[in-house]
Parts: sequence; C-alpha cells; structure tokens
Amino acid sequence: MARKYYHDDPKWSDVAPLPQEDYGHHPLAAIAYTEEYSEAMGYLRACMAANEHSERVLELTEHIIGLNPAHYTVWLYRAQTLSALNSDLRAEIAWLNPTALQHLKNYQIWHHRQTIIDKLGSPDGEPAFITAMLDQDSKNYHVWSYRQWLVKRFDMFDGRELKWTEGMIDDDVRNNSAWNHRWFLVFGGTVGEGEKVERDVVVRELEYAQDAIRKAPQNQSPWNYLRGVIRRSGLPLSALQHFALEFADPENRPDDDVFSSHALDLLADIYAAAGKTELAVKALDLLATRYDPIRKTYWEYRKGLLEAEGRKEETGAASAAAVETAAA
Amino acid sequence: MAAEDSSAPPSARFEEVLTISNRIEELSNSENEYEEMGTVANEHESANIAFINSITVPIRDKFQTETSMVQDDTLGEVLLFLEGNPNDFPLNNFGLPQLQRAKHKSFLEKAIGDYEPHMAPLDAARPWYTYWSLQGLSALGEDVSTYRDRVIATFKQCQHPEGGFGGGYGHLPHLAATYAATLSIAMVGGEAAYECINRKAMWHFLGRMKQADGGFTMAPGGEEDIRGAFCALVAMSLLNLPLELPPDAPARQQGLTNFLDNLGDWVSRCQTYEGGISAAPGNEAHGAYAFCGLGCLSIMGPPKETLNKYLDVPSLIHCLSSRHCAPECGYNGRTNKLVDGCYSHWIGGCWALVEAAAGKGLWNRGALGRYILSAAQFKKGGLIDKPGKRPDSYHTCYNLSGLSAVQHEYVFDEDVNSDIGQDNLGAPFHWKAEKQVEEGKVWGDEDVVAETHPVFVIPSQAATDCRKYFEANPGF
Repeated sequence: MARKYYHDDPKWSDVAPLPQEDYGHHPLAAIAYTEEYSEAMGYLRACMAANEHSERVLELTEHIIGLNPAHYTVWLYRAQTLSALNSDLRAEIAWLNPTALQHLKNYQIWHHRQTIIDKLGSPDGEPAFITAMLDQDSKNYHVWSYRQWLVKRFDMFDGRELKWTEGMIDDDVRNNSAWNHRWFLVFGGTVGEGEKVERDVVVRELEYAQDAIRKAPQNQSPWNYLRGVIRRSGLPLSALQHFALEFADPENRPDDDVFSSHALDLLADIYAAAGKTELAVKALDLLATRYDPIRKTYWEYRKGLLEAEGRKEETGAASAAAVETAAA
Repeated sequence: MAAEDSSAPPSARFEEVLTISNRIEELSNSENEYEEMGTVANEHESANIAFINSITVPIRDKFQTETSMVQDDTLGEVLLFLEGNPNDFPLNNFGLPQLQRAKHKSFLEKAIGDYEPHMAPLDAARPWYTYWSLQGLSALGEDVSTYRDRVIATFKQCQHPEGGFGGGYGHLPHLAATYAATLSIAMVGGEAAYECINRKAMWHFLGRMKQADGGFTMAPGGEEDIRGAFCALVAMSLLNLPLELPPDAPARQQGLTNFLDNLGDWVSRCQTYEGGISAAPGNEAHGAYAFCGLGCLSIMGPPKETLNKYLDVPSLIHCLSSRHCAPECGYNGRTNKLVDGCYSHWIGGCWALVEAAAGKGLWNRGALGRYILSAAQFKKGGLIDKPGKRPDSYHTCYNLSGLSAVQHEYVFDEDVNSDIGQDNLGAPFHWKAEKQVEEGKVWGDEDVVAETHPVFVIPSQAATDCRKYFEANPGF
C-alpha cells in the first residue's frame, strides 16, 4: 500500500496537526511510529480537538484503521462522524466486511458494526454474514455476542433462528457457544427472565438435550443445558434421574458401564435432593477416585456439604416421581 | 512466523492416553506398557506419566466432531511437555521444570521497552503492556518502583483532559486503559505517581460510563460489558472516590444517584444457565468475565455477602471447577474449549474470592502448578497459552499470577487493615496472605512467586499504600 501524507495535501492545508506531547522520561512500551502513522494521528487529534466531522475525517480514519485496526479511538470517532454526516451506512457495512474477516478477535470492529446496524434499523444480510464468520471460527465470542445483540434488537426469536442454531449444533454437538445461543433464543427473549416457560417448550428442550447426550455422553454442553432447563422451569432435579441412570448407576452397577462422568455428577445432586445421602456420596466417590479425579477436592467438598446438611427427609421425592412420569 | 514447537510430532503417549480413556476397567499398569513401547522413560518421566494416568478421565466418546479433533491434537502437544522435558529446563525436587526467573524477567523487561514501527497495532494497548510487564516483574519479586518516572511519563500522555486514561496521547478515555493505568501507578507508588491522576476528572469520566441498567460502558459510545463494571470499581476503590454519581452523569436522568445502583443485579444477570459469568446478559459463560464479575462483587463488599447475594454460588463453583482440563492440568475458559495458560489467572484467581464466600479446598492447585511449570514456559523466556504458541506479556503476566494463586492462600478478614477501607468500596483492603500452600506442592522454593492481591492483581502492599494515600488526601 502506498504511503499517504497530509502535510502537502491542499485539502488539509487549513489544519495544523497536533503532535504528541512529551513528558520527559522515556515512556514505557513506546513505539517508534512511522512518519506516516505519526502524521495521520497528528491530524486526527487536530480534528478531534476541533470536533470536526467531515468526509475528509472519514478518509483519515479509514487510513489509520488500515495502519492499526485495534485503535478504538479512531473507530469511535468514525462512528460519530458517520452519524453527524448522515452517511450511507450500507456503504459502511460493505467496507467493513473484509476488514472484519481479517480481524476476528477485534472488539472495536464488532462494536462499530453494532452501532451502524442499530442506526440502519435493519438486520438484512447480517445473519448470513455472521454465519460466514462462524465458518472460520465457530466459537468466536464477539461474533456470538453480536448475534445475540442482533436477535434481541430485531426481535428475531423465531423458528428460523432456532433452526439455524440447530444446524450449528448438528455441525458440532460440542460447540458450547451454539448451545448458549439456543438457551438465549428459548429462555432469554420473549419468555423474559422471570416468566414461566410453557410446558411443551420444557419437554422439547429436555428431549433435545437428551438426544444430544446420547450421541456423545461425555460432552458437558448438553448436560449443563439440561440442568439449566430444570432450574429455569422449576422442575425438581429428580425429573432427570431416569435419564441419567442410562449412563451410570452407582446403586446397581457402580463398577462398570459408566458412560459419562456428568451423569454421576447429576445423580449425586439428584440423590442429595432426595435425601439419599449414601448414594450421593457413592456417586461423588466414584468421581473423585476414578471417573473425574482431577476435581477430587471439589467432589470432596460436595461430600462435605452433604454431611454438613445431614440426612434430609425424602422431601419432594413423591412429587418428583410424578413429574418424571409426566415428562417422560 | 511459525511457532518453534508447532511441528513437533504428536506424542506416542497420546495414543496411549486415548487407550486409557477408552478402557474403562484398567488404569494401573500403563507405565509398563509405556516401557514396552521401547521409549526410555527416566524416573521423572515415569512419575509424571503416573500422575497423568491418575487424573485421566477413563471415558471417551467415539463420536468425533471438530471440537474433539482439535482437543485431541492439543492434548498430544501438551502431553509431550507434561511428561518429558523437551525444553531441557533444570528440574525441581518434584521432577518438574524450574521457574525460569531470569529468562522471564528479561522477556518482560523487553516487553516494556521500545517497539519497532510495525508494532503500531498495539498502540492503543500500551497501558496493558505496561501493566502486564510490571505485574509479571512484581510476581517475580522485582522492585518495580524503579520504573516510577517512566510510568508517570507514560500515563501523563494517556490521561484524558476530561478524565480517565486512554491508550495513548489524544486517545479517548477507556476503562481498560484506566484500569491498567491505575494499577501501574499503584504498583510503582509514591506521591508523584499518585498525584499524576486527576481524580476529580476520573470521577466524572466514570460517571459518564455508568448506565441506567447498572453496568458500565468501556468508553464513550463503546460497548457495555462486565469488564467495564470491574475496571470502574477497581479505579474507584484504589483512588477512594465518592460513591455518589457526579451531577453530570447521564444515568442521573434515569433516576440513578449512586455508582452501585442496579450494579449487583446487573452482575446477577450475567450469570448463565451454566453457572459461570458472561460478558453481558445473554452471552456465554467465560473464564475471564468470571474473574471480572467476582472481582466487581468483591469490591462491592465482603465476598461472603456479595457473592451469595447476587450469584448462585453452587452452580458458579460447578462451572469454575469444570474449567480444569484433564489430563492437560491447566484451565480452559469455556465448556469444550482448549486449555490456555491465561486462565491460570482468570479461573485460578477466582478461587480465593469464591473460597472466601463458600469455604476452602475447592480446587486442584498442584495440577495447575504443573501445567504452568511444565507446559506454559517458553524455552527462551516468557510464558505461553499452550505448547506451540509464542510468548507474550499477557500470557506471561497471567501464568505468573496464576502460579501465585496456586502457591498462596488468602483470607478475607475485616480486622485486617482495619485502619483503612471502612467506606467507599473499602472491602478489598481486608485480605491477608495467610501462608504458602503445602498441599499438592509441585514447586521448589526457587519456583515460588510473590503473593498478589486477590482482587487487584498487584502486590498487596501497593494496593494498601495507594488507598492509604487517598484516604489521607480525599479531596479533589
């Protein structure tokens, strides 16, 4: 790329660049800026000081972003300028796309995009663009967070988004970002944070997570999802007992056929809630000594909590059994 | 540039660990099998292998996806370093590589030095580089007050006339830069450093970042996430700023009057169904944001009160504990992601805060220490994400801070430093480093790094001194 300067550019002859102030002692992590970068920043500082928003400021910010795409100040000032000038925001998005693809982990680009799309007031083209980004990096935090913003901003909590998310989970059932997005769609939007969830939605979500677990029982993502659904819907944990026993059964076959440490973990909580302390301890012991020993201290801590609580009555066990029958 | 170690062949042991994983019934005699494979295993390697076998989950799904494949590749790389000593580092009494102090020190000194023109993309992150290096050097036991004049010169350039610090001269103020600047200034200490902060303007800047929903944006017009809440409270607490919002704070128009209004509830909304904490409500639980969320709550009050008030602590612990990768020994940041040395701090650093709320003995310190010493040290100095990666000051700082979390135990006690921190977010000044940890010890005396303040992640004395100064000089 050809270097670009402003001091001999007649378009900029009215501006006196503001050089960087120097405070004597050698600053830390100092960069030997190129003349080009140094000069462009000098002109930007002058524009910012004069609160100038103009076409030439857009050109200047584009130039600096090309030299340093992680420069949040330049992005924020560019957004202000676009807004002040009522610029063509579709053109801005078109310019942004290739830049975003080159800098997937850049906070600024995603926030800038969010600002622009918010102003445009339409999500057109965005889902497809995001999908292309996720093809390159299927768990990129910024991209998923942006998608969640988009869904909320444009009320896209619909079947189409859910279907797309299912596709992402089908591609990789261990993609936890996709599971989180599913949660967001089902429980984070129209349902509202405190509202009651429809019974058929709960059943659907439990079945979806259970099917996923059967594909790869040691995959923690759907187990976490399952626990989340139970907690969110107010069902007792014991509603999952029958299912969890498919993968481990500390009572009847403690020494073999353990297909998932997460099943043991869940069973320990189910037994604890039902007052079956001995079985809970057995499940935790299996985890500590054999099936998940790196977390031994954590499993021991959970055992300690059980002992501290003492033996509970089998509260809720009867109602739990009723719900389990209903949910099956 | 390709990483030096990235072309290393996958360990033969990797296949064996997979076999262990497939074989539910038997764990004990794998050492012999290893020797039968014709590899010379010395005493240390045998001990390491036995340890790895002892923490390997003996269950492995046959169903492969992209996640499981990259996971397998990573494990293969990491095992080479956990079991052997490909860097030829001198070993400690536990047969693990010693902490390469001199090399790491030299790496960090370079990281805080001058950069070539092509490094312009780190221009806005210079405050971070400064903080990471100074904290890394502090963890190594270096006296960083020698950098005082240069820190002052650096942050005078970065301070915005309307308050807060930016990435450089003329940059907009930003909460990440403000966080890094405040901590760096506190670390070098001294009146001249403290006084270079325009506290009144800072208070106004923080007031402009406060949002009606309780959270904070990172910059004017910038994103709102949990880093903002944490960074803002770190600055307020260390600088002893008033809790009432300044008169010009926009959130006042929505009826807010105090920096803490709606904040605890906002952090609550960042706890996800997995129990962990996300960047903002609705996002995925993530280790670095967990530390920010817990740090924020631990500044708002004693962790036992604030964590239990605003979080479901059992599910939080479940999620944090699940981040420990077996048999890699280090932490990952999210469910089904890869181990990364920076989470030695982001997750490892959560435990002191969580244990103050829920009780001691929640995590496996020894395994994490093993990852840091064996797998996260770069041959030529500096620490890394994982074998095959290049070192940088971010990973060097957070591996060393993680090692500090492993080696020291902290207790929250209101009676500690009771002469300061009685109001204005004073809770974090009542921690004490109780003792060095013996349990699960895999480090020698020569590998011990300095204790670190569990919330501020700078030396505790530096945090105390800074607060003391601004309690003695509270006016604007």
